[in-house]
Amino acid sequence: MPLARTYSVALIGVTGHVVEIEADIANGLPAVIVVGLPDTALREARDRIRAAITNSHEEWPQRKITVGLSPASLPKRGSWFDLAIAIGILAAAGKVPRAAAAGVMFFGELGLDGRLRPVCGVLPAVARAAEKGFGTVMVAEQNAAEAALVPGVRVIAVHSLTTAADWLRGLPGPDGQPAAVEYQGGQDLPGRDGRLASGGGAQAAGSGSTMAPDLAELLGQSMARRAAEVCAAGGHHLSLLGPPGAGKTMLAERIPTILPRLDRAAAFEVTAVHSVAGTLPAQVPLLEDPPFLAPHHTATKAAIVGGGSGVIRPGSASLAHRGVLFLDEAPEFARDVLDALRQPLEAGEVVVARSGITTRFPARFTLVLAANPCPCARVAGPSEGCSCSPATRRRYLGRISGPLLDRVDVKIELEPVSRKELLSDRTFSESSLTVARRVAQARQRAAHRLQGTPWRLNGEVPGSALRRTWPPAPGSLTVLERSLDRGLITARGVVKIVRVAWTLADLAGRPRPTRDDCDAALGLWLGVRR
Amino acid sequence: MSSGSSPRERLSEEKLARAALTYLAEPGDPALGALLAICSPAEVLAAIKADMLPGTGPGCGDTPASRAALGRALGRWRARLPTLPHEERLAGTSRDGIRLSCPGDADWPGALDQLGQGRPYALWLRGHTDLRFACSRSVSMVGSRAATSYGGHVAGEIAADLGERGWTVVSGGAYGIDAAAHRGALAAEAVTIAVLACGVDYPYPAGHADLFAAIAGQGLVISEWPPGRRPARTRFLVRNRVIAALGCGTVIVEAGERSGALNTARHAATLGKPLMAVPGPVTSAQSAGCHRILRDWAASCVTRAADIIELLSPLTVPDALAPGGVADALSPGGGPGQRSRPGSDADRPPSRDDLDPDSARVLDALPARGGAGTSTIAVEAGVDLDTVLRCLGRLAGYGFIERCDRGWRLRRS
Repeated sequence: MPLARTYSVALIGVTGHVVEIEADIANGLPAVIVVGLPDTALREARDRIRAAITNSHEEWPQRKITVGLSPASLPKRGSWFDLAIAIGILAAAGKVPRAAAAGVMFFGELGLDGRLRPVCGVLPAVARAAEKGFGTVMVAEQNAAEAALVPGVRVIAVHSLTTAADWLRGLPGPDGQPAAVEYQGGQDLPGRDGRLASGGGAQAAGSGSTMAPDLAELLGQSMARRAAEVCAAGGHHLSLLGPPGAGKTMLAERIPTILPRLDRAAAFEVTAVHSVAGTLPAQVPLLEDPPFLAPHHTATKAAIVGGGSGVIRPGSASLAHRGVLFLDEAPEFARDVLDALRQPLEAGEVVVARSGITTRFPARFTLVLAANPCPCARVAGPSEGCSCSPATRRRYLGRISGPLLDRVDVKIELEPVSRKELLSDRTFSESSLTVARRVAQARQRAAHRLQGTPWRLNGEVPGSALRRTWPPAPGSLTVLERSLDRGLITARGVVKIVRVAWTLADLAGRPRPTRDDCDAALGLWLGVRR
Repeated sequence: MSSGSSPRERLSEEKLARAALTYLAEPGDPALGALLAICSPAEVLAAIKADMLPGTGPGCGDTPASRAALGRALGRWRARLPTLPHEERLAGTSRDGIRLSCPGDADWPGALDQLGQGRPYALWLRGHTDLRFACSRSVSMVGSRAATSYGGHVAGEIAADLGERGWTVVSGGAYGIDAAAHRGALAAEAVTIAVLACGVDYPYPAGHADLFAAIAGQGLVISEWPPGRRPARTRFLVRNRVIAALGCGTVIVEAGERSGALNTARHAATLGKPLMAVPGPVTSAQSAGCHRILRDWAASCVTRAADIIELLSPLTVPDALAPGGVADALSPGGGPGQRSRPGSDADRPPSRDDLDPDSARVLDALPARGGAGTSTIAVEAGVDLDTVLRCLGRLAGYGFIERCDRGWRLRRS
């Protein structure tokens, strides 16, 4: 019976679905028919595969070939299935053992010359294959390190269709060595990946590289540094307001340096998203540092939250999952782009719905907004002061919608630094390493307290739960109440201040916020003129 | 009409008639007020429908002149007969959360009866609060629409403080002082009543639609005019008598020489209610009206909620409903959403003597003029960054310092 089966995985968002590929060779006029909801790129596969097989010195069966991809209802896209289809055809023609072909998952795009090219999204696909009980996957060499992240999977790295076929036939390569390189998933890749082998990364925790940015460089902005620490520790969203040159961007770029490294599960989530997006650096199979994304303010909605016709790609919000999404010049972003962030901020994931399919991407990030106080962005001073009217300034900042700002717990105003402040601040500046250590401890404390709840960080806890379950120590709200009476803060502000007070208590190692923590949180909150 | 019906049905029939009368006659119409003093609303309505002068009893059209006036009034009311909604719509008083309160109802505030023949025929209510109970301890607070920031601040502050002590704030829902008073009471999560000069479903001014919704959620929006009726200049003046009557006393916060608030003050004075005014700068035209009623009408000068309560308390129940001191809200169950009135000790603004040593040092470290950055202050005071941040928060909360261009500076008070 000239019918063979191979398997691959179709990705929808970061979720994989096993696809069965059947190749049937029947009598009839020579033709290739691909059935089962393929898109254009996949329909082009038949020409690619034909050229690849011919150029690999294999025989192309001159009969009618039907390739079926099932489940047929699932949209299948791109050049993912090239290798699986090619092997399927060879197996159906009897050139490759059918049983061997059916026991392996294939991922890869074929070049016309028969070379195997890497594809995006290998990590979630291989993880899915492993879940479904496929022990062996065959990928392009460039994808091997990524595929080998999944524990318990045997990864066959091949560089061409010929080596793939030879390996399946059990033949040695041209030089007598085994046709393909094998890796065991979950173990180290010798020679190829020093990072994975040593289990530690380079930049984040401050590994001594003199070029790495450090929080200590932000001299003269002690409040802002403290705010960054609070945001990193509690996952609070942050808003930075200040004239150009005050250090907004500098501060935002240094937040990743004080974030703890991602744990294994989080690193997998992050790597999966980046793998699907194709933004994984070649030498770094597993992203263990929290990502930092700073999209330009001309970014479209699809670029930020994900989308696109045809292939649905994750946006910056998802790429910043478990990391920082920094919107510099936030008022310059299109309003609908900013408002599109409200749902991911609320739900921790992006849902992109298209007519054919609904895709979910994780998107639990720390939002950092930066804005100039006015559109002219001149430093207010005696000589060349800003000429914007109060109405203009108001309108400018009003472009960031209220509901978005409502989710921001920490607002900081950075002022130009005076010489005196620079001198004074030298006493207090701390390196990223010192701060990162405190942050990691605070995160642990919060995670311990929040055990058994859907939240892991203080910034994620809703106000109602905060009030019910975690009130601050008795007597600690005296000053807050007075501020409330005086109209300095609103009831909503109180909730945010208490949330930040919890993080301050975590940072200081106290079991619950005391009056000192609440007052310090109030100081951060009142650090903005209004 | 329905002599055989039960008392209950008669009552609802009377309510229906009163609802209809709010559609037909302008509130405060002396002719209708006089008629209602001697006839039942149902009789009056029947007479209007039949174009027949009702009863010839004493006081009602017994002189040719008054009969002629009554005839003219009848013509006036009959003119609106075609616009009268169908009886079922009238009866469906609970539609859109709007209900009707009539004299004699359980929630009808007795204070309105002081208006005599000028008493409203009925009141349309939006909100679920009990009107009668809300008015048992209430203060009317009105003032200029073109309020200064001073006036708005004072009105809000006093209203919030009154609200916290369990007093209802009655006002007119206009821009300026009225809005500040309502918002202050809302902020204190207290009951507040907006008395409108148009239908309770007609948001005037339009910018206050949200405010009215908030008031209806927490207190009451009330009107003598039926739903859908639009405001008119004269209606505000007619409405003012209800504001004056609903409060145990009336406070004028800011009023110009020709402010409508003075009209409310006049009504309050006529009703014999305590009249109070908050003074302003003598140079401010916006406070000229307040100063005039202080001088000419012997109004009491009040500057804070405690003054007002002191003035009104002999007339009402003792100030027993006020919540306890600070200890209340800070007990373990007390979350950040709870507020308490500061205890008597906290009534006075905190002085430097109340500060802990660290905060006092930080306060001393601030420059006498201009601002200073956080680190500068910390070095000056000789404390670490955590301490300075906590002390700055405390000092800002107490109102000693504020944020400025260059960091923090002393607050001039």
